[in-house]
Amino acid sequence: MIVFISGGVRSGKSKMAERCVAALASCRGIVHYIATAKVTDEEMKERVARHQRERSMQPIRWVTWEQPLHVHELLPHFQNDVVLLDCLTNWLANELFHEEGWEKEERCRQKAKRILTTIAQLESSSNALVIVSNELFSGGVPQDIGTYHFMKMLGWLHQHIVHLASHAILVQHGIPIVKKGGSLP
Amino acid sequence: MRGYYELDKATSHRWCNGYEQDAFFPDEMKERIVVFEGLEALIRRLPDRVYWESFFQTWHEWEQEKDERCVIWIGCDITQGIVPIAKEERHWRDVTGWCYQQLSRRCDRVDRLWCGLAERMK
Repeated sequence: MIVFISGGVRSGKSKMAERCVAALASCRGIVHYIATAKVTDEEMKERVARHQRERSMQPIRWVTWEQPLHVHELLPHFQNDVVLLDCLTNWLANELFHEEGWEKEERCRQKAKRILTTIAQLESSSNALVIVSNELFSGGVPQDIGTYHFMKMLGWLHQHIVHLASHAILVQHGIPIVKKGGSLP
Repeated sequence: MRGYYELDKATSHRWCNGYEQDAFFPDEMKERIVVFEGLEALIRRLPDRVYWESFFQTWHEWEQEKDERCVIWIGCDITQGIVPIAKEERHWRDVTGWCYQQLSRRCDRVDRLWCGLAERMK
């Protein structure tokens, strides 16, 4: 089962995803949190630490994985648990831009396909997979080729993930707008 | 969109990717369906209402000539962010919003898409 959650900056999408995970997690199960952001500065370090503290206060057992790249390496660690992936946008950007080749659309598409395959594998090796992503499409499509490919691949992934997902939710101002699959599981 | 208009079947169509190509007029159109994708990018290169009004009119007339003809316009909604400070950016957004209204008025069907899910508006 896949739940797809998207929203703008500071829309409350991560909170919504955690609420969703709490509803999905059984009392004995583990929730795996896959953080794809690269921690690059102090402010971010603090944010990560704060989020971890907040999660440790909850009755759910959280296991955090910091995995900016190659998320498929984590697959053996999940056994019918709930997996929260936060977020797809960072993961895709890391995969596309950590090495040369992002100027070529074909190369970017291969990487996007690899991500989609990993998502399908994550789904089958977990009880439920919650994916967080961003709404980045209202500012126009940028001229530079890197960002253009990034947006094209992100849009492609969004379409395919929502197709696979049983639930798709757009969060605006903290309010969930259910686009697919009825009310929250 | 491809599914609804059956573009993946043998249907003859011409696709204009506005992010990589320039727009064209219907001269020498042999196909019965034309798709203009990235309309906002096309408009950005020539943010002129008068030009686009006559462009839409030309394609409308082409479409009316035969029953099976169809013009499909695809654009990103760029009108919802903060009003840009730079004059050109503002102008581009205004012209794009205006063009989308013109097309919505003219078109038989209007859909708003989110992650491949269509919400029919008209």
